[in-house]
Amino acid sequence: MAAIFNLNHPAHTVHWHFFTMSVSNVIVIVLMLVVFAVAILAPFPRRGRGEPT
Amino acid sequence: MSATTKRSWTAGLRERAVRALPPEKLLPDSQPSYMSSWIYIFGVLTLTSLVVIIASGSILSLKGPGWWHFTGIGHFFNSIHMWSVELFFFFMVIHLWGKYWMAAWRGRRARVWMTGAVAFVVAVPCALTGYVSQQNFDAQWISTQAKDAMNAAGVGSFFNLMNFGQMYSYHVFLLPLAVVGMVATHILLVRKHGIVPPFKLSGPTAAPAAAPAPDPVPLPATTSPAPRSGHEPVPVPTPAIPPSPASGPERNGGSKRNGAS
Repeated sequence: MAAIFNLNHPAHTVHWHFFTMSVSNVIVIVLMLVVFAVAILAPFPRRGRGEPT
Repeated sequence: MSATTKRSWTAGLRERAVRALPPEKLLPDSQPSYMSSWIYIFGVLTLTSLVVIIASGSILSLKGPGWWHFTGIGHFFNSIHMWSVELFFFFMVIHLWGKYWMAAWRGRRARVWMTGAVAFVVAVPCALTGYVSQQNFDAQWISTQAKDAMNAAGVGSFFNLMNFGQMYSYHVFLLPLAVVGMVATHILLVRKHGIVPPFKLSGPTAAPAAAPAPDPVPLPATTSPAPRSGHEPVPVPTPAIPPSPASGPERNGGSKRNGAS
């Protein structure tokens, strides 16, 4: 990962009034929200109705 | 009564265990069809991550910091350990969100919810002690910063992040033991009580449900499994809903075979 991203610098942060968080943490939280929404909305694959159980 | 027929404590313990969690509940061959949703996947993904964490961490503890810092294969296993921890928390938080919005403590499942919550809380210091056990400048920075928080909370005298031996013992034995114990209890309780069913539909939205629904995830009213009905908070009012054509030959009144659960 370090070969792809230059990590040799202080972390970038997001500031909004009192709120301060590193960009990497913001990305992870947003990604969790996206995956959560997809998990609820995406249809779950199902076996064929004719298949014996 | 002869000595051979006298009831021993081991037999009593076995009978209590079987009575509390019969084999067909411990290792079921079917699950309710409302489990056919991606949101039910994240519990087992969390468990899978935990297995990878323990396996990679065991190898790291056997080989030592000289190996994980200065060899290629050591870097590889170090990365596996770190990224499996990232995935563990990623999946566990989504599992937590899903169960929170399902109110998964319904139906006498309070202990299931509480053991899961405690497992999450115990996993946080387990990860923290891992960060300070890396044996590098990153660990020094984290430990010197975190010790101020612990001192401010008044626990620094017996949880000293500058004490590597103490932190390493916490990380490789005490806290993993607690996490695995809580997770194991959580899973056994899930097996005992069954997964929480969806909320019962009520009001105007419930009326169209009387028609046969081609929805890939049938409503719980048509699918609630018989073995778990004693713990279900949602009654099974089936007369208003004709059975789905697909549910005829299936066992347990529409439950599905346990494939990817």
